[in-house]
Amino acid sequence: MTAQGRIVWVSGPAVRADGMADAKMYETVTVGNSKLVGEVIRLTGDVAFIQVYESTSGLKPGEPVVGTGNPLSVLLGPGIIGQLYDGIQRPLRELSKASGSFIGKGITTTPVDMVKTYHFVPVASNGDDVLPGNVIGTVQETDLIEHSIMVPPNHPGGKISNIVSEGDYNLETELATAEKDGQNVPLKMYHKWPVRKPRPYLKRYDATVPLITGQRVIDTFFPIAKGGTGSIPGAFGTGKTVTLHQIAKWADSQVVVYIGCGERGNEMTEVLVEFPHLKDPRSGKPLMDRTVLVANTSNMPVAAREASIYTGVTIAEYYRDMGKDVVLVADSTSRWAEALREMSGRLEEMPAEEGYPSYLASRLAEFYERAGRVRASGSPDRDGSVTLIGAVSPSGGDFTEPVTTHTMRFIKTFWALDAKLAYSRHYPSINWMNSYSGYLADIAKWWSENISEDWFAIRNEAYGILQREDTLKEIVKLLGPDALPDEEKLILEIARMVKIGLLQQNSFDDVDTYCSAEKQFKLLKLIVDFYKLGQQSLKEGTQLSAIRELPVVPSILKARMDIKDDEMPKLDKLESDMKEQFKNISGVKVTN
Amino acid sequence: MTDKGGIQYSNIAEIKGPLVVVDDVDNAAFDELVEIETIEGERRLGKVLEVGNGKAIVQVFEGTTGLSISGTSAKFVGKVMEMPVSKDVLGRVFDGLGRPKDGLPDPIADKFIDINGEPMNPEQREYPKDFIQTGVSVIDGLVTLVRGQKLPIFSGSGMSHNLLAAQIARQASVVGTNDDFAVVFAAIGVQYSEAEYFRKSLEESGALKRSVLFLNTADDPAIERIITPRVALTVAEYLAFDLGMHVLVILTDMTNYAEALREISAAREEVPGRKGYPGYLYTDLSTIYERAGKLNGRKGSVTQIPILSMPSDDITHPIPDLTGYITEGQIVVGRDLFRQGVYPPINILMSLSRLMKDGIGEGSTREDHAEVANQVYDAYSRAQEVRALAGIVGKAGLTEIDLKYMDVGDVFEKEFLTQATDENRTIEETLAILWKIVSKLPKNEITKIKDKFVDKYYQGE
Amino acid sequence: MTNSTITATIDKILNQTEKSILSDISSELSNSRQKLDDSVSKLEAEYDKIIADGKKEADKIEKQIVGGSDIEARNKQLLALESSVNRVFATALEQITNSDRNSDYANLINSLLEESTQILGTTEVKVFTNSKDRDTVQSALSRFPGSELSSENIDCIGGVKLESKVGSMKFDNTIDAKIDRLKPLIRKEIASKFGVNE
Repeated sequence: MTAQGRIVWVSGPAVRADGMADAKMYETVTVGNSKLVGEVIRLTGDVAFIQVYESTSGLKPGEPVVGTGNPLSVLLGPGIIGQLYDGIQRPLRELSKASGSFIGKGITTTPVDMVKTYHFVPVASNGDDVLPGNVIGTVQETDLIEHSIMVPPNHPGGKISNIVSEGDYNLETELATAEKDGQNVPLKMYHKWPVRKPRPYLKRYDATVPLITGQRVIDTFFPIAKGGTGSIPGAFGTGKTVTLHQIAKWADSQVVVYIGCGERGNEMTEVLVEFPHLKDPRSGKPLMDRTVLVANTSNMPVAAREASIYTGVTIAEYYRDMGKDVVLVADSTSRWAEALREMSGRLEEMPAEEGYPSYLASRLAEFYERAGRVRASGSPDRDGSVTLIGAVSPSGGDFTEPVTTHTMRFIKTFWALDAKLAYSRHYPSINWMNSYSGYLADIAKWWSENISEDWFAIRNEAYGILQREDTLKEIVKLLGPDALPDEEKLILEIARMVKIGLLQQNSFDDVDTYCSAEKQFKLLKLIVDFYKLGQQSLKEGTQLSAIRELPVVPSILKARMDIKDDEMPKLDKLESDMKEQFKNISGVKVTN
Repeated sequence: MTDKGGIQYSNIAEIKGPLVVVDDVDNAAFDELVEIETIEGERRLGKVLEVGNGKAIVQVFEGTTGLSISGTSAKFVGKVMEMPVSKDVLGRVFDGLGRPKDGLPDPIADKFIDINGEPMNPEQREYPKDFIQTGVSVIDGLVTLVRGQKLPIFSGSGMSHNLLAAQIARQASVVGTNDDFAVVFAAIGVQYSEAEYFRKSLEESGALKRSVLFLNTADDPAIERIITPRVALTVAEYLAFDLGMHVLVILTDMTNYAEALREISAAREEVPGRKGYPGYLYTDLSTIYERAGKLNGRKGSVTQIPILSMPSDDITHPIPDLTGYITEGQIVVGRDLFRQGVYPPINILMSLSRLMKDGIGEGSTREDHAEVANQVYDAYSRAQEVRALAGIVGKAGLTEIDLKYMDVGDVFEKEFLTQATDENRTIEETLAILWKIVSKLPKNEITKIKDKFVDKYYQGE
Repeated sequence: MTNSTITATIDKILNQTEKSILSDISSELSNSRQKLDDSVSKLEAEYDKIIADGKKEADKIEKQIVGGSDIEARNKQLLALESSVNRVFATALEQITNSDRNSDYANLINSLLEESTQILGTTEVKVFTNSKDRDTVQSALSRFPGSELSSENIDCIGGVKLESKVGSMKFDNTIDAKIDRLKPLIRKEIASKFGVNE
């Protein structure tokens, strides 16, 4: 029996209704005469406290509230890829058909086109015994995505009968029925799943495969693993969004879920405009063919911001269950936390730090815990992953504020954005002294097997140079650069080369925007070799200025922009030029 | 808009700060417009912040001074606050609530529009990419403004932000296309003289007939400031999306707006966020700033230049901080440069236009624009480091290359940044000065510009 | 509830032509065929004169534009238009004030009372009106149990003002208040008759 109550109180996105004794926690309800979507977040006696996902302007006490009997759920099936959803999985394109350029209220649509047909290829046969998670067939959702039709986790499973033959069917077609204990339950291309409940899987693996993002400072210095967790905090203007867009564009995953949570409208538009024209560097297909967008911009109702994170992660888990690597980017978790704070304030809960509710930390932990590399339930064997990357927008750029500090407890890769670097136009402005990656040792094996055995050692050598520079800079600040001996001045010079030639990356440059793992390694090695040659040359009496003015230096620094991924021989040529030029200034043969 | 009247309730339970709590109310809606009538028959406007259990909390825009528990009544009007609009609002002056202040009658409304607006559907937005030439070198060259952008000026008390905003409004308005251009100016708690400066500036440039002014000056009711930017943006949206005009909206000073919001939050005894500002300040500001933009299939655009004075010049203060997270960049006015008498005193290292990359380049400004701008940013940043170093070790301790960067810093400030308030530079002139700066450096210092552009434009030895 | 005659007027003013607006204003209030014809012709004549004046004024101002700034002229035009619009309202109000208090007027009062008590949610009310409408109101009140006519007269053209006996609610349903609420909505229609704002 569904609850039927009346509004007794309205304040912003928060509504109280009485007569709601039949309502369940986290049940979705329709609120008021204009049938706004809401969710029950507290029950006291027969009074339900409801957060409303649409504007409550004009809502009056006395208007009806009706329960739906269901928790907030998403629809999972083909047609999700390429969509732009709001926080509760309403397709914004469909909303615009109903209400034009601006977002109206009380509009209902289906998340995907239910009558569009897909070419279904069955893999199960009549008589097969299936379990939840088993793949019964596939459809080609986009050029890039082969979509597995699985027995839903909340389906009893059983013996397959009446399975359709290969052909075109829409989402509502009964593809088969499964019979168990005398009950026939139909299987369709879609099912629904409650967003706040993680989808089940068979087992979890350690995260040992790096997610290659094509961004040098990330892949080379602070890598994240597939199935891992990362956080990117930074004050405004430090390039958070650009960095996240870069990851969404170039990461070597099969599906990207991008959540714009309380951020700018134009940023979502930018993705919508840009992604269909960008090609996936591996398949050559448009990036939009693997991307799902969830947008609840800052000026859209605040409660739906809270839901958008769960909507996104549930979609990510669904594609993971097909055996795909999924990257979920959430920009920004701080706005999500603020939505929690606002609702908590309206509930008059006792606030913890800076007004945030005391359960902020546990909510963050629950969210990041939904990352992982897993073996999916059912057969055939499928391994997939969800990598979670959350932006944090600390107020005043202060990393000691609650959202940043709590997030740091639950993530393993931390990319600290630095306003000072951004002010000097060092992008991405990831500070190499404050950032860290907990996956470095785990993923070293992958680099060793796939790129070079020397990777770990050379990477550490380059990082060592940056650390030395950090100390030396303090001395220079106090005493001036002349206080340092030439060997140490060389370190400053090499650190500059690492910063300009490697750490900096121009996301707006056609070549520099993506850097393959191989090119990353070669650039890294080039600079580290330059250091070794320089050290040796100094020992042999060469002037530092002669090393600094070698004609190869600007070529090395511009190689990131000038040499394309398919022009690796040019980097080898640069290496031999470098050796040659050192030979000339030293007048002795340099051995490698 | 409706012709149904509302009930007048006279059971006032409490008056605190800008709020009036009305009891025994059974027919009020959230956000509804309220007419408060004083015992003397004076009418003030307000809106419902919270309603339920027979009680309505009403925020009174014109303040509660002079209201009494007995004798005051509240009429719930049955609609949210609306602004009457028509093309005849151009050339008009309104108060902070959108009522005529120029002695002329109410505009004969073509439409009545809810001043809160509705969020633009991100799917229906058109990504802004049309370059606006402001004629101010530092903006056109390094912090480029595009149509539909929201680009605030972060300033401090007493600095020349209004001068700059007025110059942009004048010069951007004359860039020749046939499209209609309009300026909407909202004064939010600023001194009368500042508002008057803007009016005069628009008048002298002949732009007044294409302008709409909303004035809430320092001596006007503080709570009214919650409404001022909203009525201004409602008119701007109408001009842009109904009449197809390109509208530049100047909101000054958003700090006063945030303070009015804090006053209400404090009166409601809400748990405060940082520095006493409400936790929803970010969301609230976004409902103003996000009203900038362009829409698919519609001709006009709303471009916003909000101005805010940073308390103690502190960019980490909640108001500039949260603004910066919403706006598409920021133009930061620097105290040091201002003291040195530089106009416009823009600290370019802290300034940024996020949409610049899409508004410049081949076809809009010039192919080399992005790269030469990057190099100048880099060079000026190095120049600042060298200046700091020179402060420790003296000029004698600097290398030859360091001295060249010092030179870059000087040329940048004296020739590029410095500009007269009536000097309107073309983008070509601006780019030429940028190359002049870059040409002070030897070629091997140029790491951000492709060789083909260096070959074409570099003028050094 | 049954549509009050005044509300019908309002709708028609919004939707119909100038002629029918005028005829309806009179038909609602006098509700006498005879009188209707009289007042329409009278009002129409007056109306035409206002329009002619307004147009003349506008033309004059248009001439002043030559040499003057656009905006000043536009503002003067706005003022001229406003005074013309106001004169239309004033004329209409005058018509109402002078109309007979006959049985149709009694129906109007009745529907005003019905509307008011429904909005207030009670018939336990104190009713205020002007001296001219006292008798009409008094006889209508028998249908509203618990209601009572205040001895105090209020200053208005016609209609009623209600105050709940319990609690503290008031509802103004005088014709003045109705016209006031209507004014911003129909100004555009009236103005367009002057050939402005189209």
